Amino acid sequence: MMKKPSIKMLFEKNKSEPQFVEKSNVKDIELKKQDISSSYDKNLATFKSIFSVPKNTDVKVREFTIRALNRRAFIIFISTMVEVERIQESIVKPLLENELSTGEIRDIVSYPIEKTATVIGEITEFITGGMTALFIDGDIQSHLFETTNLTGRSIEKSDNEVIVKGAKEAFNERVIDNIALLRKKIKNENLIVDSQVISKRSRNDVFLVYQKDLANDEILQTIKDKLTSIDIDRILDLSILEQYLEERPRSLFPTILYTERPDRAASFIEEGHIVILMSNSPSCLILPTTFWSLMHSPEDHYLRAPYGNFIRLLRLFAFLVAVFASAFYIAITNYHVGMIPPDLLMAFAGTRERVPFPSVIEIFMMEIAFELIREAGLRVPTPIGPTIGIVGALILGQAAVQANIISPIVIIVIALSGLSSFIISDLSINFAIRMTRLLFICSAGLLGVYGLIALCMVFLFYLVSLNSFGTPYLAPMTPHFLSSKDLIIRHLPIKERFRPGYLKPKDMVKQRKE
Amino acid sequence: MKQQVGKLGLREYISIAILMVGAKATEDTPTILFNKVHNSSWMLPILSAGIFFIPLYLLLKIMTLYKDKDLFSVIQKLLGKYLGFIVCLLIFLISSYAISFDSRSYSNIIRTFYFTTTPNLIIYALLMVVCTYGARKGIQHIGSVAYLVIYLSVFSLWFALMLSMQQSTIQSIFPIWGPGKLEILNQSSQKVTLFAEFFLFTMFIPYLPSIKEYKKGTWFAFVYVSIQISAAIFIYICLFDIGMGGVGYPFHTAIRFISFGTFLPNVEIIFFITWLMSVFIRFTAFLYLNSLMFGRLFKIKDIEYIIPSLATIYLLIGSIPEAAVNVSTEFRALSLTIAGPTFAAISIILWLSALLKGEFKRDKNRNSM
Amino acid sequence: MIKTGTVCKLLMFLFIVCILTGCWDKQELEDKAYVIGLGIDHSNHKGKIKVTMLLANPEVGSMQGGGGSTEKPREIITFEANDFIAAKGTANAIISRTISYELLKIFVVSEEYAKNPNFIKTFSDIQMDKEIRLDSHLAVSKENASEFFLKNKPKMETRPHKYFQYMVNHGIENGLIPDSTLFRFFNTTYRKTELFLAMFISAEKDKNPKEHREDEYMAGQVNATGELDDTQFIGSAVFRNGMMIGKLNGQETRMVNILDDTTNIKDILIDLPDPFSNKKKQLAARILKTKSNKVKMNVKSARLKVDITVPLKLEIMSNPSMIDIAKKRNQQIIKSQVTNHLKKVNEKFFKKTQTKLKGVPFPLSMYARRYFGTIQEYKKFDWQKSYLNADIRVHPSIQIIDYGKQTKALKR
Repeated sequence: MMKKPSIKMLFEKNKSEPQFVEKSNVKDIELKKQDISSSYDKNLATFKSIFSVPKNTDVKVREFTIRALNRRAFIIFISTMVEVERIQESIVKPLLENELSTGEIRDIVSYPIEKTATVIGEITEFITGGMTALFIDGDIQSHLFETTNLTGRSIEKSDNEVIVKGAKEAFNERVIDNIALLRKKIKNENLIVDSQVISKRSRNDVFLVYQKDLANDEILQTIKDKLTSIDIDRILDLSILEQYLEERPRSLFPTILYTERPDRAASFIEEGHIVILMSNSPSCLILPTTFWSLMHSPEDHYLRAPYGNFIRLLRLFAFLVAVFASAFYIAITNYHVGMIPPDLLMAFAGTRERVPFPSVIEIFMMEIAFELIREAGLRVPTPIGPTIGIVGALILGQAAVQANIISPIVIIVIALSGLSSFIISDLSINFAIRMTRLLFICSAGLLGVYGLIALCMVFLFYLVSLNSFGTPYLAPMTPHFLSSKDLIIRHLPIKERFRPGYLKPKDMVKQRKE
Repeated sequence: MKQQVGKLGLREYISIAILMVGAKATEDTPTILFNKVHNSSWMLPILSAGIFFIPLYLLLKIMTLYKDKDLFSVIQKLLGKYLGFIVCLLIFLISSYAISFDSRSYSNIIRTFYFTTTPNLIIYALLMVVCTYGARKGIQHIGSVAYLVIYLSVFSLWFALMLSMQQSTIQSIFPIWGPGKLEILNQSSQKVTLFAEFFLFTMFIPYLPSIKEYKKGTWFAFVYVSIQISAAIFIYICLFDIGMGGVGYPFHTAIRFISFGTFLPNVEIIFFITWLMSVFIRFTAFLYLNSLMFGRLFKIKDIEYIIPSLATIYLLIGSIPEAAVNVSTEFRALSLTIAGPTFAAISIILWLSALLKGEFKRDKNRNSM
Repeated sequence: MIKTGTVCKLLMFLFIVCILTGCWDKQELEDKAYVIGLGIDHSNHKGKIKVTMLLANPEVGSMQGGGGSTEKPREIITFEANDFIAAKGTANAIISRTISYELLKIFVVSEEYAKNPNFIKTFSDIQMDKEIRLDSHLAVSKENASEFFLKNKPKMETRPHKYFQYMVNHGIENGLIPDSTLFRFFNTTYRKTELFLAMFISAEKDKNPKEHREDEYMAGQVNATGELDDTQFIGSAVFRNGMMIGKLNGQETRMVNILDDTTNIKDILIDLPDPFSNKKKQLAARILKTKSNKVKMNVKSARLKVDITVPLKLEIMSNPSMIDIAKKRNQQIIKSQVTNHLKKVNEKFFKKTQTKLKGVPFPLSMYARRYFGTIQEYKKFDWQKSYLNADIRVHPSIQIIDYGKQTKALKR
């Protein structure tokens, strides 16, 4: 008790946020709430000031007179985000050349009018979104045309989740394409694409995609509430949104599945999950997510049942090896020597004799070296990529052994656990494995198998207590839910009749037997 | 299909029950039994199960009357406020005594066989810390972890027993009646403590979806566990024969002896791992059970906060005996003879008072109406 | 938040303190010296024993390329000690590393000390030690154990653990030595109803060994010449209540192994008298035992009656008299002759155990147990006494499954 205040003082930090002197933008906000006026000049001045024309070079304002109405008008658009030729062709040209005096803009312009708007702020938003706004003298509303033409990648092969059999296309940065990819796979009117704007400043669109007649309303509502409650000025990417959405952002284990494969997303939607897409992000988030869906790969289902199960079991084995191999090595060589077969024990002891470090240090050195090679290989520009492999393998493997810094057994152990960690394709769970591995090595170094199992139990308790949007992390294995039993092994597609029960889908049975 | 939040599923409950009671086959209980009735000690678990079946059946009958009520509230309802409180306190004290020395005995096993120079306190403290962490997660999560571990631990236990069978001679169980039929019957009535946990499990009733599920799980686990313990003792007898009296912990001696082909001569660590897992579950569930009782007894709602303090108390009590030998001969022997008969007596008293109060009739009337 | 942070930091602090206090059981595996064989000899000092340790050098024979060392594969030390548990400490005065019994494969006791009544007292220390496994073997050496280890210089397996592993395993498979694990030793000693057989070994060849019939040798009597090591594993030493009382030769040991259902023998090659010649020639055969014995006893009668049916499968491997083996009649002759021979030999052996050894060298008493309801009755029956004048009959049930590759013999 006596200690408490002093320690508290030691760790005391500035509690309050520093105060900043900020420029007030009340005026701008006020302006944006107003309606546009009917005066042409006033409107022109307002929008020129909002978009800082002519300082802002790609914002174009074109003034002209509509011949049919004989009124002055201007259009405003951001030239880098629109198809300028089409504006010229189907908006400006008809307006300039049409002589029939109908009085209706939609009769003159061949471009489909998207909508009309009156509030300045709203119009500004549309213009920044790539629309073209037409203001006419004397008109109290502005006409908006959907002329957006963003540049970006076309649909390409999936890079990070490679599979041999099955669809190859991947999401790209254009959310419209992404939605189209999903729609292409699920041709059903119940597929809802629900959009929501989240951040205040950069106004990112987020799309919730789900099957109306499957997804559980409660889960959907939780996600929507969570999205609206995010109070931030910008979210650049879906991966950042992921961190805002997660219940435990500090946890080692991911609770949201991040994938770039539309086929995977589509299969989850069909089971009643909810998919989140975002503009400018070449991927989607799938929620709720369980541990099992993180461990699975779409290929498990594309391959025939025996092959699919073979790679499933292989992956499970790899998971165990990746997490426990190094720790188990430490535990048995330092504490439970009797367990090793005599021949192997002699070989271990013989090679360890000249190594100066304790085996825990040895393992740590190699683990870190392996992570270095891995990270370097990832960041290095492609042309010199192969060198990293050579340097890593040669210097760290061969030379370290010859210099008696590392014993060859350790190289085998590390290589095995490193290789195994590559088999789990999901990036987040991959990191989780690599980091828990280090913890397990520590615990095994401290108390052998006992420490290892103690930590393992703590992890099990932790994993079980995790949940992703109300879904227990290890469901449907435990707690038990009705499902197609697609867990450690998968069954024949014909037998997989149920949607996972933990989602509480509105329709449980996939295809009823007639 | 509809899983309520915070509820314990049937299979999770069965896993906890099997791990908690079935673990008795892997500690010093077989030796204690062997020293009493020698080579017919394998019959004891089955006979004790038969004897304990009666009070347990009566108890469950009462529990069915009060749907979704746990043991303590039923006791207080039937025996009145003060007497009920004293009985509940007695149950709590007995099970606290049991958990203290049981946990000490397990940390002794770990120390004797695998960590000979590590201070016992460290092993014991780590065991309690992990169990506290687990127990704080709540019964549902304990059940889930138990379910994850159950297959592994049951499979490895049977596998170890199977390997031991290769080295054993079945003739060791003869003469079949050991020291005589009467002696066996006498001892088996004293050793009902083997299944005392089932009495305590009635605390879990409110957490299960329904009393029907609870009964189903209890009977399944009860039958399985008695078979498991009995089979394990049977195989130990075949393996060690008369020498078993001197073997402190037959399971661990056996797994040190058995081998898996010539290349892997010493495989005890593999069995040790799965055994350890079930030990952690056992004490996590036990600790939770005790804190649950404590909470009911003194009307504490948030039992998560009392778990660490209870664990510390048990750790301190468990550290009282000096050497490992004292634990099993003095301290555990006491709880082994007291707990079972006491619990059986309480169940019968409860049933009698329910009968006298006419609770069963009332229930019948309620049903007919 | 600040509070939890502080708690976390305190916990971290505690954790680090825990690490600093040390990892108690942690020991690097190269830091230990592994004892493969342990010798126990009689000492001239009262209350002491002479302990010999055979230590393996892990560096030899484990490296593939990359600078093999010039060190010796083993180290042997002999010294006086009170017991072999505390001897671990004493040995550290000589050996640079911590002594470990984790890999202990074989206990060698000199014949002289095995006959000493103190032996069982010294030896039961094994049960207290936490490193010694009960599946290591007990052997009795003709000479002193210290000499045995010194003279034993295997030519092919330089690494001692491998040598003893092979020697013991194949010896047991061939039935020439008993499966004398410590586990069996203690079980037998607890039961007190039968004799225990330990393997008999020697690294010293007799000066002028006599020629015996096939396998009727003891260790040291096999007359082998050539470029070899003189160590021999054959025959067994008989223990009653933890004290050595006699010896059995290789053939007798094998007979016990065939009769004993608790040992795992493989197929055994033996010689049988050829029924078609005048007893000089021998017939080579391979014996397979796939089924367990059937033992019937009559414990109620005044004299214990034991009937042992031994199911055996035989493969005839040679045909020294060059008879036509395809003939049914010849086959029957072989079968009846072999059955008779085995019956005679076995019953003779049982006679020997009753008169000379005064006990049965394998757990035959286990079969008697089922005739009794309670332990008290069984104790009253007193197996040891009843066995000595029991009427034992052996009924080999022979099944000849193969008469060799070539059924027709060469024409004379």
